Amino acid sequence: MRHTAGASHRPYDHAVRLAERQRLPEGWTPVLLAGAWALAFGAWPLLRLAAEAAGRWSLLWDMAGDAAIWRAAGRSLAGAAAAAVLATLLGAAAALSLLLRMRFRRLLALLFVLPMLVPPQIMALAWIQAAAPSGPFRLWLGVPGPFGQGNWLYGPHGIVLLLAVQTAPLVFLTTLGLVRRLPGELIEAARGLGARPVRALAAAALPLLAPGIMAGAALAFVAAIGNFGTAALIGLPARWPMLTVLIWQRLTGPGSNALAEAAVLSLLLAMLAATGLALAALARRRGTPVPAGRAFAPVGAPRLAALAGTLMGLYGIAVLALPLAALVAAAFAPAAGLPPVVTFRTAAALATALWQQPAVGEAVRNSLLLALGAGVVLAAAAVPLARLSALPAARPVALWIALPQALPGTVTAVGAILVALMLPFGAGAALYGGTGLILLAYLSRFALLATRPVAASLALLDPRIADAAAGLGAGPWARLGRVTIPLTLPAIAAGGTLVALSAVNELTVSALLYAAGSRTLGVVVFGLNEGGETQLAAAVSLLSLAITAGLLAAATWLGRRLPPGAVPWRV
Amino acid sequence: MRRHLLAALLLLPLAGHAQTVSGHLTLYTSQPEADATRTLAAFRDTYPEVTTEFVRGGTGQILPRIRAELAAGAPRADVLLLADSLTMEGLKAENRLLRVPDMQTGGVPAALVDPDGTYWGTKLITTGLLRNTRAPLHPARWSDLLGPEYRGQIAAPAHAVSGAALIHLLTIVQQPALGWLYLEKLAKQDIRAAGGNGQVMQSVAGGERGYGVIIDYLPIREHAKGAPVEFVFPEEGVSAVTEPVAILAGTRNPGAAKAFVAFLLSADGQRLAARQGYLPADPAIAPPPGFPPPQDIRVMRFDPARAAAESEAAIRRFNALFGG
Repeated sequence: MRHTAGASHRPYDHAVRLAERQRLPEGWTPVLLAGAWALAFGAWPLLRLAAEAAGRWSLLWDMAGDAAIWRAAGRSLAGAAAAAVLATLLGAAAALSLLLRMRFRRLLALLFVLPMLVPPQIMALAWIQAAAPSGPFRLWLGVPGPFGQGNWLYGPHGIVLLLAVQTAPLVFLTTLGLVRRLPGELIEAARGLGARPVRALAAAALPLLAPGIMAGAALAFVAAIGNFGTAALIGLPARWPMLTVLIWQRLTGPGSNALAEAAVLSLLLAMLAATGLALAALARRRGTPVPAGRAFAPVGAPRLAALAGTLMGLYGIAVLALPLAALVAAAFAPAAGLPPVVTFRTAAALATALWQQPAVGEAVRNSLLLALGAGVVLAAAAVPLARLSALPAARPVALWIALPQALPGTVTAVGAILVALMLPFGAGAALYGGTGLILLAYLSRFALLATRPVAASLALLDPRIADAAAGLGAGPWARLGRVTIPLTLPAIAAGGTLVALSAVNELTVSALLYAAGSRTLGVVVFGLNEGGETQLAAAVSLLSLAITAGLLAAATWLGRRLPPGAVPWRV
Repeated sequence: MRRHLLAALLLLPLAGHAQTVSGHLTLYTSQPEADATRTLAAFRDTYPEVTTEFVRGGTGQILPRIRAELAAGAPRADVLLLADSLTMEGLKAENRLLRVPDMQTGGVPAALVDPDGTYWGTKLITTGLLRNTRAPLHPARWSDLLGPEYRGQIAAPAHAVSGAALIHLLTIVQQPALGWLYLEKLAKQDIRAAGGNGQVMQSVAGGERGYGVIIDYLPIREHAKGAPVEFVFPEEGVSAVTEPVAILAGTRNPGAAKAFVAFLLSADGQRLAARQGYLPADPAIAPPPGFPPPQDIRVMRFDPARAAAESEAAIRRFNALFGG
């Protein structure tokens, strides 16, 4: 009762405190800690990166004359823009299809979103295998392609196509987020005016959805330009390196100025991505506010719905099922260029081969530890971070939580190296090349993933509950531990699982930070493929997908009671 | 248990060392993943007290990693097992390699080890021609690749990734009958040199391209498993690297590192190499099936001193011809 005793004879102070408690039910301390976190994990690496490039005029001059850099930047811009356009067409078409009443609606939605959840390097490996003219898959099906014609996927078109499939879910989900808020009255009014169902949708719903589509397109561009797995697996053999691949090449290649060059290139990449982010923000602000109303009900247009549903199903088979079957075929091929032998015995032999590779055990252990570590730490930090993000005055600080997630992972990784090298007392040398540095980079990169569901859940939480607890004498920490956290636990768990899901298959960051003993699943798949050990690469990919599927199921289960959109793929 | 016993019997002269060698050993290598795993496993069978880990990558990727770690003050590698002696010469000139003049080199000929005792060749890896058995043509000479029917049909490893590929190009340059003229014509054949030898193997075995330039053991090994590929020793001769092993000067475990080198050079280590499908450095050890008798393999003449002197300019020219 301490605080009320002091406040009773000063009504104004009391009102201020009450208002503050409405906004900060656990007091200032968690928010200040969250602010310190945002500055340490978000601002420091990025500012350190900028400092590395600033003032190095001779280096900048040399790099400005390096044609390879401009070529890569041009490829990144053009490739990501083309991918974004294609992704927008695909994603918007799929989201609009879901405005119709159709069977298997949720299943089709999940099918469309899945390519985003399969790690890019595995997706690319699977596509390469499906396209290989005399690869195990085509030999298995008995339809080998023409001999000596190369793999049609190797080229800019292959990268653009695959990036579009991987980023189309972003357009789909942002559009669907608006569909959920589409007032049902609107369509009814249009129909009342005599419009046929499909026309009613086009005339009434499309203008309201346009900002969502545009914002999704911008996000697709940002995701495509920051992609490393697809850009490397297809771009390296096609000799079409984009910026992310060039940074990896420079950082792992010869050259005395590798780190400084990588820092400058990362800044260039960040700037290109930032244009996309600015476009997304603009699209959101320009959007017509969606009027509130009754929940939207899908429109009945049976023939069109059947057609759309069939197309979506076929799309899922083409981009997901066939490539994954090709991955299985590649894993079961007895040698390069031979059809697979899928029997119980070869499966057992494959499992033994995986078991006997210490790299695989090391990678599974590292990736699971990293996923668990990042998931648990960020889940623990999620409530304060979400409180900070909700504070209008703290927006300049909270930005640093969102930025590492929005910018390409390459930027985070190079920033992490620079920060580690400036730590005192040999801490940097101890971190460098170890799992610890990868974990720190993940904490920076994935913070927003853990924060977002918790913020959604906190927004629904009645602040009077915390008030009541305060009235009963609970201090700020007790309110945090006994009220807020228990009430938002599902969201915290879902956020932590989302982090784990992203971390367990991560490649972009770990490809730049790994060393002996700290290889991750992504790095091992990438390395095996690079070494031409395709069978093993495919087998490790299958193992990796099994782990992902488990985490996906866990996140879906944990998120089943959360508001729609808290777990991104649950529609 | 039986394997341990066998290893102990075979290595009886070394058994005295086995007691003292322990601790952790980190290997940086360009060997394929599975081979590096088996090499270290065999080493641990002899020295069970040692724990090991390794990083695999092309020679052109491992070297910058070592330099970056040295620059960060956090070197992690103890032992290097990389494709070619040119790389080792570079590290030796920078005093990065540990000198062990009294290393037991077993039956490995003196020509394959550094006389100053900083690196030791462990096998012979030759680069020759690869052909998919479904491909219509039968290349027998390097110069055959210049024919118009080979255009767009040749896969080759990138010299920036593979140490063996770099030595191969430097060797070709030194052949009066081939030289720069040959390479300039070859570059016009739409060769996409990308990745390492493993990717050349995948590309040709998978029918993407009909022919390739590749190191010997990959196709010979895969051919034995039934893969539709064959390795051809060209009439002009093959180029060769020795896959030398070396110890980094800053190693935290010189005892285990020396034991590892001695193990690779011993008869047992050489037999292991042959079992893995490599041509052993020790001529007394029988080559693996699929190889011709060693005396029948014609190796193109190679002057390492000349290569070292002209390598920087040559690499720039290779980059211009085949992409960096």
